[in-house]
Amino acid sequence: MSVLCQSMSRGAAVLAAALLLSSQAMGAGILRYATIGEPPSLDVQMGTATIAGTIGNHMFETLYAFDSQYKPQPLLATGEKIEDGGKTLVIGLRQGVKFHDGQEMTADDVVASLKRWGEFGARGQLLMKNATSLQATGKYEVTLKLSEPNGAWKNMLAYPEGGPAIYPAGIVSAAGNKPIEPKNYVGTGPYKFGEWRPNRYVELLRFDGYSKLPTPGDGYAGARVANFDAIRFVPVPDVGTRVSGVQAGDYDYAEFISGDLYDSLKSNAAIRIHRNGAPLFGLFFMNSASGILKDNFALRRAIQTALKKDEALRVSFGPKDLWNASGSLYPKGSPWYSEVGTQAYSAGDPAKAKQLAKDAGYTGTPIRLLVSTNYQAHFDQATVFTKQLAEAGINVQMIVVDWATLLKMRGQQDQWDIFVTHHGFVPDPILITFMNDSYAGWWKTPEKTRLVAAFTGTADPAAREKAWADLQALFYEQVPAMKVGDAYSYDIASRKLKGMGDSTVLWPHFWNVSN
Amino acid sequence: MSYTLHRTAAALVTLAFASVIIFFFIHLIPGDPLYVLLGDVATPDQVERLRSKLALDQPIFVQYLRWLANVASGDLGNSIFFQMPVTQVIRDGAETSILLASITMIWITLIGVPVGVIAAMRHGSWLDQGLSGVAMLLASVPTFWVGLYLILIFAAWLGWLPSSGYPSIFEEGGLANLRYLLLPSLTLAAPNAALILRLTRASMLDVAREDYIRTARAKGIRPARVVFRHILRNALLAVVSAFGFTFAALISEAVVTETVFALPGIGQLVVQSILRRDYPVIQGIILVTVVLYLIINLLVDLSYRVLDPRVELQ
Amino acid sequence: MTGLRWYLAPFTSRPLALVGLMILITICVAAVFAPLLAPYDPSRLAPEARLLPPSGAHWFGTDQFGRDTLSRVIYGTRLALVIGIGVVTFALVTGVPAGVFSALFPRIGRIVMRMIDVLMSFPALLLALGLIVILGRGVSNAIIAIGVVYLTTTCRITYGLALRLRTETYVEAAISLGAGVAWTIRKHILPNLISPLLVQASFVFAFAQLAAASLDFLGLGAPPEIPSWGNMLAESRILITRAPWLLFFPGLSIAITAFSLNLVGDALRDQLDPRFRDMIAGPRR
Repeated sequence: MSVLCQSMSRGAAVLAAALLLSSQAMGAGILRYATIGEPPSLDVQMGTATIAGTIGNHMFETLYAFDSQYKPQPLLATGEKIEDGGKTLVIGLRQGVKFHDGQEMTADDVVASLKRWGEFGARGQLLMKNATSLQATGKYEVTLKLSEPNGAWKNMLAYPEGGPAIYPAGIVSAAGNKPIEPKNYVGTGPYKFGEWRPNRYVELLRFDGYSKLPTPGDGYAGARVANFDAIRFVPVPDVGTRVSGVQAGDYDYAEFISGDLYDSLKSNAAIRIHRNGAPLFGLFFMNSASGILKDNFALRRAIQTALKKDEALRVSFGPKDLWNASGSLYPKGSPWYSEVGTQAYSAGDPAKAKQLAKDAGYTGTPIRLLVSTNYQAHFDQATVFTKQLAEAGINVQMIVVDWATLLKMRGQQDQWDIFVTHHGFVPDPILITFMNDSYAGWWKTPEKTRLVAAFTGTADPAAREKAWADLQALFYEQVPAMKVGDAYSYDIASRKLKGMGDSTVLWPHFWNVSN
Repeated sequence: MSYTLHRTAAALVTLAFASVIIFFFIHLIPGDPLYVLLGDVATPDQVERLRSKLALDQPIFVQYLRWLANVASGDLGNSIFFQMPVTQVIRDGAETSILLASITMIWITLIGVPVGVIAAMRHGSWLDQGLSGVAMLLASVPTFWVGLYLILIFAAWLGWLPSSGYPSIFEEGGLANLRYLLLPSLTLAAPNAALILRLTRASMLDVAREDYIRTARAKGIRPARVVFRHILRNALLAVVSAFGFTFAALISEAVVTETVFALPGIGQLVVQSILRRDYPVIQGIILVTVVLYLIINLLVDLSYRVLDPRVELQ
Repeated sequence: MTGLRWYLAPFTSRPLALVGLMILITICVAAVFAPLLAPYDPSRLAPEARLLPPSGAHWFGTDQFGRDTLSRVIYGTRLALVIGIGVVTFALVTGVPAGVFSALFPRIGRIVMRMIDVLMSFPALLLALGLIVILGRGVSNAIIAIGVVYLTTTCRITYGLALRLRTETYVEAAISLGAGVAWTIRKHILPNLISPLLVQASFVFAFAQLAAASLDFLGLGAPPEIPSWGNMLAESRILITRAPWLLFFPGLSIAITAFSLNLVGDALRDQLDPRFRDMIAGPRR
């Protein structure tokens, strides 16, 4: 298409979008979202807090984005050329995309953002440690060269949490490894940063210069239409308050409602329930670097054999709708779903466990279980498991601290044998924490290294799925961590909200949604 | 004059010691703010690099002196969690807490003082015993328990009042938003009003025993005049100082009530900051509160000197 | 009038205070005989019996784990007593010697009281919170944290009392006749401190209950495995509309305990010499 045709059709699209936006702007007002707590910095490249991601997704965008089938589609990119057996990626960028400060996004911004993410970002090292060069090879083109092909590259570029959000080059280079300050939150998303009043709200305002894609919205991909004038994220730590707030009309949406209230809310006509389509799962990590569990895979398997996981799930999450005792690390329906190895998931056999433990050389030494009270589910699960293990003659000593202390203690290898955390849904297994050798737990064995290399070394989906099944088998053999089960959190919304769909993809988002 | 100077100097010395305690004490808290900031997935390497970028790896004494120097120029530092100035973080919380404390003081004064006077005047009667008993009861009940049941009754069952939160009066709703503070202020007022009631009563009874009151009565002054002009005015001396401390305490210690009613106040902010290990915010708030306490203390001391010439420097 | 009759006298004329005393005795009995009195094991998890309202099988209902509330309330008396006794002991053992010596040796005394002033300029709850976070959760740490708050008031009060006693004519006379410090303390000061401090102790005991409950409510007090009234309130808070009984009984227990202590303390205080009476602040910090 000639340049003139291109600009005319783009102009028409922009005009149509502007008309659409302005016609819906009348009376759309403010969306009030009750969050579970205060977010830390909203610099999404640096941290992985879910609430920061929920808010940040409206302001910042990535090169690719996941559609409702969890497949990455181009968002800020136009497409890619893969050369040299997967070692060279040439990514084309969209033109005319504006940042919130009015500047156009170019390859320089992308290069600077990816460089900073690679060096300092929360998940940057996973992709960029093998990067040999990253350059702007045109105003709207970047080329990334890797020393080895990485089959997960597109998924990683599409995942915004701790991921490569695109910021203006000037801002991101100046920040370095320091989280960007609120006054410099500039992105390309449909909403821009308005104001942050600690303890009160974070407010985002509609960005009228947003360049939306022509394709219809699908999950995170496609067009993003901002119908609200502003979105306010209000921290409301008390779940009862969040619920009564939605019922009273103070909030339009409230996240993370506890299981005990599910039944009564389901029958409430004024409220819609949005179950998160992507489950979280609890993980009990074993210490592979020091202590009694260090190389003793047999003892770890013995511990897992004693556990009846659905009991813990029922106590922590309540109604059956909200949890699933499934050993597969990914839920049914996901391409990564597999039943390999899951026979060992929840045997619930204390007698057998006792025997296995004895065979593994266990003589009754207390096993230190590090758990925090900030997440009630962690503590409930730990309590149930401790009791179940006691029946198998395995002596567990709970060390109960608050979350900040746990994070610190977790880094000290001699302080614990098992610690409790949970894991959010990630669209590619490479993003799971235990895949990273340096994540607490420090699981690093020759078998793992081999299988991970096989997993990332190819871009062929079938080969990757097979490699993942092998890794899951290893997960149940070497037990670097125990999966508790799938937990589906749910949010509630006023019935006036349209366009949400019944379940959310990863995080709820409020483009293409109106009152 | 020298009394004033002496007292002020004493307050400043106390403040200096307090600042040392605040700073070092807080850094004794185990746990790491940077892990909280960066999240579960952060590696130790990332954390350490951020630590040196934020100059948090300097020796503790150096950090203390820098903090002190900044405070002297009005800069309370930057919150680690929010990456914005501490003063900005505190601002909204301060508005909520001060407003809540003020409304609570109004309830306390309107209820505590008159009822205390009545109890004193009817000293020994069933009414007096009953009122004192009720006061004692109110002072014994855990505030959050009262608060939770107030929410259950007035918000959940009757629907008369909102259960929680606090939109600022400077925003949409204006002064009508004060109704969000109604239940919380009543919850906080209950035990404190009880204490003021008892204090007023005890104080009045003490003054009533004084010789000059007997003289006044002997002189034939009307009983009501005796009570109000003589007894009450002198009794209120002791009560007024209690008011000052109560106000200061309400601002900093309302955290449990703030938690129950989800009010974004200073108490909540401190507890959350402690859990997040956000040292600059914790230090900033405690420093401000200590200064507030010391100022009130000083004013009370000085007012005693002015109001009661019999008081002398110990 | 001294000795036992002094202590029992106020209760004959005050029925309410007598009720308070009876309640305290009941609590002590419940604490000692808890295993016999409680119908169930307080930590027994029974997920199939979750959130049952009060009934014949469970007089106070069950919580979200299926644990019997009545049993937990009964066992909770143990923690209440441990906290109360612990805090009072800590405050007395640290505050009294400090106060007495400060009164007898004015030069050191002034410095000590200045330190106490510094501690008292901190908001009490925040001081306790900070200590708990530094020391970690746990019953003994909670006792220390709350104890530090009350040692300041105990010290101040003891200092005031001891000062007043020291300036009594008979004490001055004894000193001028060559009485030693230790003797003065033993013979004159300590015996006169017992009654006022006992009264103060009952108020501290009462307030320690409320302070501990607040810490538990914020998730910073006794560890969750130990049956504690404050923890019970914290855990069932979100269920208030679903299961209001879970909040009622533990809260009532705290209130009754504190109330009884305050009543007893108040009754005893009225027995005190008027000079000392004002120094005991009563049910407040």
